[in-house]
Amino acid sequence: MSHDRSVDAASISSSPNPVQRLKALAANPLCGVVIALVVIFVLSSALSANFLTAFNMKIIARSLAFVGLVTIGQAILMILGELDLSVGAIGGLAGVAGGLLMVQAGLNPWLSLLLCLALGTGCGLLNGLLITRLRLHSLVLTIGMAGVYGGANLVLTKGVAITGIPSDISFLGRGMMAGLPVPFVILLVCLAIVSFVMIRTPLGRYVYAIGSNNAAARMLGIRVDAIRVCAFATAGFLSALAGIVMVARLGTAQPSIGDTWVLAPIAAAVIGGVATTGGLGSPFGAVLGAVIIGIIENVIVLFGISPYWQSIVSGGIVVAAISFDAIARRYFNREA
Amino acid sequence: MVLLKATGIRKAYPGVVALDHIDLTLEPGKVHILAGENGAGKSTLIKTLSGLVRPDEGTLVIDDADALHDPRLFRRVAYVPQELNLFPYLTVAENMFMPFARSGFGRITVSEKAMEEKAASYITRFGIQARPSQKVAEISVPDQQLLQIARAATQEDFGVMILDEPTSSLTARETERLFRIVDDLRVQGIAIVFVSHKMEEIFALGDTVTVLRNGRSVGSFPMEGMTESELIRLMSGSSVKLDEQFQSSPSARSDETILEVENLSGPGFEDISFTLRRGEILGFAGLVGAGRSEIMQAMFGFRKFSSGTITLDGKRIPPNRPDKAVQAGMVYLSEERKHHGIFPLLSVRENIALAVTKDIAKGGVISPAREKSIVAEIIRQFDVRTSSPSKKIMFLSGGNQQKAIIGRAMARKPRLLIFDEPTKGIDIGTKFQIYRIMQRLAEEGVGIILVSSEMSELQRCATRIITLYSGRINGSFDHDKTDVSTLVASIIGSPETTHVA
Repeated sequence: MSHDRSVDAASISSSPNPVQRLKALAANPLCGVVIALVVIFVLSSALSANFLTAFNMKIIARSLAFVGLVTIGQAILMILGELDLSVGAIGGLAGVAGGLLMVQAGLNPWLSLLLCLALGTGCGLLNGLLITRLRLHSLVLTIGMAGVYGGANLVLTKGVAITGIPSDISFLGRGMMAGLPVPFVILLVCLAIVSFVMIRTPLGRYVYAIGSNNAAARMLGIRVDAIRVCAFATAGFLSALAGIVMVARLGTAQPSIGDTWVLAPIAAAVIGGVATTGGLGSPFGAVLGAVIIGIIENVIVLFGISPYWQSIVSGGIVVAAISFDAIARRYFNREA
Repeated sequence: MVLLKATGIRKAYPGVVALDHIDLTLEPGKVHILAGENGAGKSTLIKTLSGLVRPDEGTLVIDDADALHDPRLFRRVAYVPQELNLFPYLTVAENMFMPFARSGFGRITVSEKAMEEKAASYITRFGIQARPSQKVAEISVPDQQLLQIARAATQEDFGVMILDEPTSSLTARETERLFRIVDDLRVQGIAIVFVSHKMEEIFALGDTVTVLRNGRSVGSFPMEGMTESELIRLMSGSSVKLDEQFQSSPSARSDETILEVENLSGPGFEDISFTLRRGEILGFAGLVGAGRSEIMQAMFGFRKFSSGTITLDGKRIPPNRPDKAVQAGMVYLSEERKHHGIFPLLSVRENIALAVTKDIAKGGVISPAREKSIVAEIIRQFDVRTSSPSKKIMFLSGGNQQKAIIGRAMARKPRLLIFDEPTKGIDIGTKFQIYRIMQRLAEEGVGIILVSSEMSELQRCATRIITLYSGRINGSFDHDKTDVSTLVASIIGSPETTHVA
């Protein structure tokens, strides 16, 4: 950490003038989202006395974890130039499958958890294989697969929640660790691992390369299709993880888990600087985008805005955040 | 009489002065050549003249009025960019007259019939081989290039036409056609700005030449009395020997076979067999569409083929697996630098590092310090000019992008390097640098294949030249026993000269 800071200080002090320093800062893709986050945080604290309380922060952190996990997976895919609209359905299917294994089949809860993660990974793998082998467009294929996985969910549960989830795993959803909600800790661990892979390993570099220019990546001998399949499998795994942690938190396996995990992660990733066309952004930025959305949703509740208006307000703020970011970037990059 | 006069044009971008007090005068009926190496500022100057870039300082007078204060005057300037930017799924006529409101064919509804009738006259005039109702995606690349010029000429009462390397994807015959068009325009009193790296064109067409170097004007000179070596000296600031040869030395050659291709057939090529021996630079000549790139890409596994075998160092290369081809030591440098070469959004450093991830990663983890030092060494060795390795590669000039890509390929220590048009759109100084690299590699025992449309390039570098005609090999020539006219006869399929050495 101290090392990083010294590097930054050196590079800033060597910059010739404040304007260029500002431009270099603005060119950083995380700049927009960090500013937006600070503004929203300060505004919320000022406008609502109930916002900046330990209790409320815990609520935000806990509910953020689920969309956050899915966002990490979706961000990897978006950097790669792909999109998976079945992540929510995979999360739901994995969640209820875990519930069924624990409750109806009576399997060991931890074994069930592993199986349900394997199921989610398998669903992602299947998406990836179909897309790469049949040369399908990921958007179209995953719309179809969302129907398949969502339908499997309903067939298994008949639309009824599975109750009586063993308390062994409730720690995952409700527990605290080092003063933080466990789901949030899980999110941080996953984010740290994925960020490390993306920045410091050849595999991560290849993901950016493929997203930036798929044909050139193939010409360089990068195993483009293998990496795409891996990315879909990773996104499936992360969705399943979100699904099962949600089951642990609720104590029941609701068939509706994951219904809201499709569009929010995409919006979060875009707010966080991930380009829908691939090659740009980072999972870290995407999760910051998810934090913004999480805070907005929380504030809407705190302000007691009518539930009928909530979606207009949160949607509007998302559009405003993206527009602000785009305008700011164009302004600072005009010359480059 | 003066049509356009630019005085003291200056344009700076962060960290670089692209144009530094440039003067330029265009007269009707004259061809004004703009010459200079890659990154000399030609593109910026052209964009300034056509109103796409606004200069920081200077004046631009068109028809005796200040164009910087009255942008409508830029309508007098027709600009044909180097890259094709047509709408592939619209018709030839639609492409020609887009936007319709401007050309008078559609204020509310578009009159297809009237448009196609008018398009037909342009098609004849510019010698385009297409019907007005044909989709652009269906016509050949050279015809698309000519269509682009025709489109610029539909602009009403233009007085200046700017052509930015218009012949880069044209073969000899279409270049002829283009020359006739330029002559026509000249007779009509149009002032023409012509950008080219090809000496034959510059000397065939030019009346005046303005030479740019590093954003400054070296001066404007009449083409009369100008010599090739003088022009190169003005452009590069140093002299190159025009008759310099880059063949690998005979002592480096041996009978050891590096690559053997047998009966390779696929879409666009048939029954291709040849061998590449140690120390050779094997040239491939052929017209656009003769199947040159298709064969190379099939060998590399980037393109499908139906039958045949490829053997590198005694090992079979599996089909459709570029990754296996790279593992076996094969590297392909595509003609399409933009589509197949660079990663535009990544920095120069990241672009190069992609090829050396194994060297910069310890135990699977990349060491930023090692990455920096290894990449810096490659940048230095291949003379890639960039203000910083962290700069996005898309902001570099074409020649520097190419050097970065070659450096990246070399870092892999390949056994076989396929150069597909390595000097397309690249200035002469950099060209010779690339030739020298090829020569050195061949002498070190790396197999080199050079695909090129420029006969002079093949003559200068290749030790043996294979000619292709509509997808088949129709000749193989030792460079020292062959002259250019024999090669040209062979690539156009002239039967009496065809023989297999």
